[in-house]
Formats: sequence, structure tokens, C-alpha cells
Amino acid sequence: SRNDQENLLRNSNTLYVGNLSYYTTEEQIHELFSKCGDLKRLVMGLDKFKKTPCGFCFVEYMERSSAEDAMRYINGTRLDDRVVRTDWDAGFKEGRQYGRG
Amino acid sequence: KRRKTSETTEEIEKRLESLICRVGEKSSSSLESNLEGLAAVLEADLPNFKPQILQILLCCSYQLPEKCPIYTTLVGLLNVRNYKCGGEFVEMLLLKLKRLLSISQFENARFLIQFVSDLVNCNVIAPASVMSLLDGFVDVTKQEGIPQSRKDWYVYVVMATLPWCGATLTEKKVDEMEVLFTKMQRYIMTRQKPHHDFLRVWAIDEPHPQEEYMDCLFAQICKLREDNWVEDILPRPYKAFEPVLENALQHTFPDFVVPPHIEGTSLYPIPKVIFRIFDYTDCPEGPLLPGNHAIERWLIEESMRNMINTNKYDKKECATRLLNFPGKEKIPLNHMIIECLLGDMFRLPVSPLQQIFYTSIFIELCRLQPGMIPQVLAIASDMLFERLDTMNITCVDRFVNWFSHHLSNFQFRWTWDDWGDCLQEDFNSPKPKFIREVLEKCMRLAFFARIRDIVPQDFEPLVPQPPKICFKYEVVPGANASEDDHMMITSSQKIIAAIKNKCQDDELIVMLEEMFPQGPEQVHNGKRLELFLQSLLFLAQKSFSHSFSALFKFHKVLKWAASDEEGKVDVLRITKDIWRNHPQMLIVLVDRMLRMEIVDCSSVAKWLFSPDMAPDFTRMYVWEIMHMTIRKMNKHVARLDASLVEMQERAIVDDKKMDDDEESDMRRSYSVFAPNEEDIQKMKEQVDTASGEQKKLFLIIFQRFIMILSDHLARSAGLHKNYNTSWYKNTIERLKEIFLLHKDMVKKYMSTMENLLFTVDLDPHILTVFKQFASIAK
Repeated sequence: SRNDQENLLRNSNTLYVGNLSYYTTEEQIHELFSKCGDLKRLVMGLDKFKKTPCGFCFVEYMERSSAEDAMRYINGTRLDDRVVRTDWDAGFKEGRQYGRG
Repeated sequence: KRRKTSETTEEIEKRLESLICRVGEKSSSSLESNLEGLAAVLEADLPNFKPQILQILLCCSYQLPEKCPIYTTLVGLLNVRNYKCGGEFVEMLLLKLKRLLSISQFENARFLIQFVSDLVNCNVIAPASVMSLLDGFVDVTKQEGIPQSRKDWYVYVVMATLPWCGATLTEKKVDEMEVLFTKMQRYIMTRQKPHHDFLRVWAIDEPHPQEEYMDCLFAQICKLREDNWVEDILPRPYKAFEPVLENALQHTFPDFVVPPHIEGTSLYPIPKVIFRIFDYTDCPEGPLLPGNHAIERWLIEESMRNMINTNKYDKKECATRLLNFPGKEKIPLNHMIIECLLGDMFRLPVSPLQQIFYTSIFIELCRLQPGMIPQVLAIASDMLFERLDTMNITCVDRFVNWFSHHLSNFQFRWTWDDWGDCLQEDFNSPKPKFIREVLEKCMRLAFFARIRDIVPQDFEPLVPQPPKICFKYEVVPGANASEDDHMMITSSQKIIAAIKNKCQDDELIVMLEEMFPQGPEQVHNGKRLELFLQSLLFLAQKSFSHSFSALFKFHKVLKWAASDEEGKVDVLRITKDIWRNHPQMLIVLVDRMLRMEIVDCSSVAKWLFSPDMAPDFTRMYVWEIMHMTIRKMNKHVARLDASLVEMQERAIVDDKKMDDDEESDMRRSYSVFAPNEEDIQKMKEQVDTASGEQKKLFLIIFQRFIMILSDHLARSAGLHKNYNTSWYKNTIERLKEIFLLHKDMVKKYMSTMENLLFTVDLDPHILTVFKQFASIAK
């Protein structure tokens, strides 16, 4: 339900990161987001058919406060000359990495 | 404004809060008329909402320090209208002050004291009362058996309060002020400053003195006193209400008893060194930059800091407010913002906010003010670069991280040619090293070819290697490959083929055992480990994710092949060997291996100090790994500590509450879930083990430092060479850094270190560092 969803978001350590270039690599994203704290997991968004990066990813931090910092301070800055957009995510589940291409 | 009758109490409270908190913000009418209007509204509401109103004002008094005089004026106006209420509020302030001091909220306490002292100017409090309050604070310096940090704090507070109330107090209590200054001066002259060297950004005072913060503020306050307390920074809205406030009755309060020092609980702020990068010659156009000892310099920085702190979670708002600083036309605004932010970014041992905050606020400022900020920031960067030779190493790291990240947000545009002169220097000296590290960090945020192309051709020697894998068992062996080499290549091919064919970990173990039969006396088989780990990492080279899952999948094989301490160090050596051109990959792999317990913290420390790592010892990535490892260890201990405390608390609750009521009945029936003696004992053992590991880690690190430094000093002396090389400077600074950045943990092991490591026979160069730290750690 909506309430559950909101609760998940309030306690989440995971961010959805969008508006990335298709050429931006996992390494670059790792470097940028590590500036706010230790990462637990980074899942690249992939094109459903070609299985190549398609402009988004999920970043999960070890600690909530790191994710909050990323929302405040990395959101709206640039990586590979594109403005990075971050948003709270309820938590990554297998299968969600496949975008519509 | 007339109130609707239907408004609920809650709505009224909300409205009052918003009215009070917003006063002094942008408004179409003047501040005076707003204050007058608000005082009238509050007066009308006092009969029904006095507790709420006073509570809101109390919060504003120390939580919104940048608006201090606005609220003191408001309180002054209320006091004129309702003397009794003014008295109650003063009492609340003192109670709050006591509370803030006893829970070590010193920053808030300081703001509250400034507020109280400013009430003198609004005729709310009698000058004699504030005078004796400040006098009592200065007398803390006479107490015995307390840390200097406690004395420092109370004297600092008095100094920080005087810009507000100094003029009034001098007018009304001239003799007492004289005494106060004499006492402060005596204290300032006699206090010890061993921290000064540890905490300064630059080792030398050229071109600008890097003053100790107490000395600096004292000089500023003395100068202000000489100038008859005239400054034009602090807003004083109460002046407009002088005729009204004049008629007020003042409150006196009984002597304030300073809460006692409680060992281990009272945590006073640590000393600071004032960061200076600009002087008036750096901003020749427009208004003058106040001098080092002008109180204006401190007041402006203070109010900028308050502004930053209030808006730290909203970078856009924060940047906007800084650029619209009240009275900005009277100061070189851009220079002062940048000096203030850089000062905080380089503050030792830690910045007030995370490093990423400073990066993002600079980006925001550049965006909002593209005509001015980027230019001043570029000038500042040039100055920082010029002064690299004497810059503290922790600050150099921060400079590298910030500068590279900043460039990545602006297409890596920079006038590199201006820094070309340093290419004539030894590449191990600070400037070329800085450029090399910046390019390495830039590359992590972009990619190799882009970074190679942004710098001029002659910078090429400083461009990092392409981050490619260096696989030992390439398919095509070189012309002079030995038989052994051929054998290893073939074996590696077999391992790779097996992994590709999805073999299980046990099968791999069997294969490896057959390839390298273990002799009976042989414990550790380095060749076997190397062949396997090289092949595995080679196969998984495509990305971090690939490498992580490879480690995960063959965790068992790795644990088996590297079971002892030597094996763990070998794992790290092999990983470095194959990824020697890709520091970032190396860092994340070490991180992952620590998490998976393939290696442990001590083995990482041993590896970093091993001869294999000597060529890279002054590279930044080595210290990224070192600090990451120590942080992990500390976090582990802290986590276990917290669980133990939590467990003990739960056990106590269940013990105590055994009255015969319904609640304790329930509790008793649930007490089976409460931790028992055995659980607690187990937890205690875990904590002990972890603390033991932590101690071991620090001892290894400091012992290795002592070994390599003593060796260097002895060798230099033997060869009659100058010991003070760039390697030496780097290494001794890193030693200081470990002390400083992990000081609360290191503190726990001081006596062990004093007895085992930092003994009197040690070279004085090394021992001094320890002694200096010991005096800070007290």
C-alpha cells in the first residue's frame, strides 16, 4: 500500500540515480557516490535486450545518513557532463535493473 | 490581524511560532515596524499563551544566532510591556544555559550567552549581572585539575560575547572591565599551545600568519576595545527603540554557578588555528578586506558560519543566503565567502561538515554567480597550489579530492600551463605530486583518454598509466620465457578454462593441489595462490561487479589458499601486482576482501608497509586504503560496544522492575527474551577480541612507522645526508595524520605505546610527534 511504500522510502538506504550518460561506467558512479560513504551495492541499469548500460542505476549505502548526503549534495551535480538526478528508492529487487531500453 | 474565533490552540501555537521565527526575514515593511507589530501581537497573546511564546523565544535565542539582536530587541520590547514576563524569560535562559553546559552542547551555550549579554543593550538585564556572569566564566581559569580545553572554552565565550556587550559594560562598569581584561590577558599569555603545530594548514606564517584561535580573538578583542568598541557589522535594531527601552526596568540575577567538570563526560571543543589565505592586497577593487586583527573579520566569518550551519541541508538556499549576506556592499564578499568555506574545508582534524558539502556548495556558488565566484575560486586554487610545499598532508588530500571533483563539474577546464613551471622540479615534490594525484582522481570520474587530452603535452609524465590489468600469465609467452613460465601459463589456462566451464570450488581446490603438491613442512604455498588469484581476477576484469562476484563465488578457494597471515599479505600483494595501474580497482578490491574476511586489517597494514609497496608509499591511494582499514576496524569495535551496552541495559531493566503489578507480571513472562548472563558474557568476549584486534592494528602501524623512520634517519646520518627529504616529510606527516584522525581510538592505547614503542631511546624527531599528540590527547 501507499503507506508501506512511504515507510520503505523513509528507512531506505537506496537511491535511484538517473539521467546518466550511456557511456558512464560503474567505476565512475562508484567513485562519485563513495564520496558520501561506503557503498553496499551498486546495480547498473541495463537495456532489456542489449544488456548495455542505459542511463540509470541503483546505489545502496551501508548507512542511511550517507544516502541522505548523496540526496543533498550529489543530486544536481555533474558526472560525464550530465546533471545527475537522485531519488529515494524503496530498495533494489532482482529484475528492476532492466530498463525499457 | 484579527483572529478567527474558530482557530484551535494548536493552530494558534503554529501561527505564533511562524510569526516569531520569520521576523527579520525579507519583508515589504521595515524591521522596526515588524518588531513593533510582533511585540503587540505577542503582548495580546501573553495572557493565554505565555508558556508557548516564551518557549519559542527561548529556542530562537540559541538556535538562530544569526538573528540574535533581532530577538533581544523583541524581548526588550516585551519586557517594557510586561516586566514580570521579562523576568520569567531571563530565568528560563539561565536554566537552559545550565542544561546546555551540563550536556556539553557548548556551541549552543555560547550562542545563548551572547544572547544574554546582548539583553544588556535592550535594558532587560542589569549590566552588573552580566559583568559578574562573565567574571565567573573567566575565573574558571583558576580552577585546578581541569583540562585546558575547559578553561579555553570559558575564556573564549567571554571574548566572543564582548563585541555585543563590551561598549555598554565599559560605560557602566569600567573598573570591572579592566579587571576582566587583566585576568584574560594573564591566561592567554600563560596557556600552552602544543596543538598549534598539529592543527595548522600551513607550516609557515608566510605570507599570512596562521594564528592560534584564542590568541587571534584576544588580539581582535583588544583592538576593538582600543577602538572604543566601534564596529559596523553587528546589527543593533534596539537602537531605533532607545526612547522606549530606556524606560524599562532591568532584571538582576543571582550569581551563576558554572557546572563542574565531569571527567569523560564534559567534552569541550578542541582548539583551532585560524585559516588565512587572503589579505587586502588580494581584493584591490571595492571594499577593503578587514585586517587579521579587526573584529570585523571574526564577526563576518562567525555570521557566515551560522548561516552555513542553519542551511547546511539545502545547498541552493545556503549559497543564495551567502551571496545575499547582509551588509555585503561593505565587504569583499566573494573573497570572504571563499576564505570562510576553505577554512572549514581544511579544518583539522575534521571539517564541521562532510567534504562533499564543500564541493557541492562551491559548485552551487559558481552557478549562481558565474561572473565572480569562479574567478576568485581560481585565484584561491592558485594560491593553494603555490603554498603546497608547506601544506599539511591531510589538507593536500582534501585539496586533491575537492579540486578534481570540482573540475569534473566544469568540463575539466583549467589553465594548466600556469602550473607548467613545476615540471622542472623533482616529480616527488609536492606540486608535481599534486597534479599527478589530481589527474588520477579526475580519471576516476571520467576516463583515461579524456584526462590525457585535457592537459598540455609537456604534462604527460604526470598523466597516470591507462588503468589496464597487468596479467602475469599472458597467453603468448615472451622470447626468454623459462620452462617454469611455460608451465605456469599452461596451468593458468587450465584454471581459466575450468572457471569458464562453471566448475565448483572444491574441484578447483583439487586441481590446484594436483598442480602444486604441498610439501609436509610447507605451510603457505605462494605460487599456488598467485596462479589462482591472478587467473581469477584476470577473468573478472570487466568491472567491479564482475570482480566482486568472482571473489564471492570462489571465497572458499581463497580462504583455503590464503589461510595464514603470510597468505593474506600475499593476496594483497598479488592483487596490487595485477591492478598496479588501477588504484581505484585496488581500493575497492581490498575493501571487498576485508568485508569478506579474505584478509584482515592487520594484514592490510603489514602489506602497506612492506617493501613491495615502498615505491608507492607516498601515493594518495595507499593512505586511502590505510584510513579505510582503520575506520572499518573502529566501526567494528564501536558496533560491538554499542550492542553490549544495549544488552546490559535491557538486562538491568528486567532485573529492577519486579514490583507486583500487572506490568511487571508481563515483563516477567517476557523475561525469557531478555539477555542472560551467558549472552552478556559472550558479547563481552566479542568486544574484547575486537578491541584486541584494534590495539594490534594500531601497534603494527606505529611500529612500522618507527622502523622506517628510524632507518631513514640513521641512514641519512651515516651518509652525512640531509634527512629532511620529501619522503621523510611525507612520512612524518602521515604519522601525525594517523594520530590526529583517529585520536579518540589511539588515546585508548597511549600507555601501551609509551611503554612499548615510543620509548625514550627513540630518535627525538619521532618522539616529538608522540609527545605533542600526548599533550593534545589529554
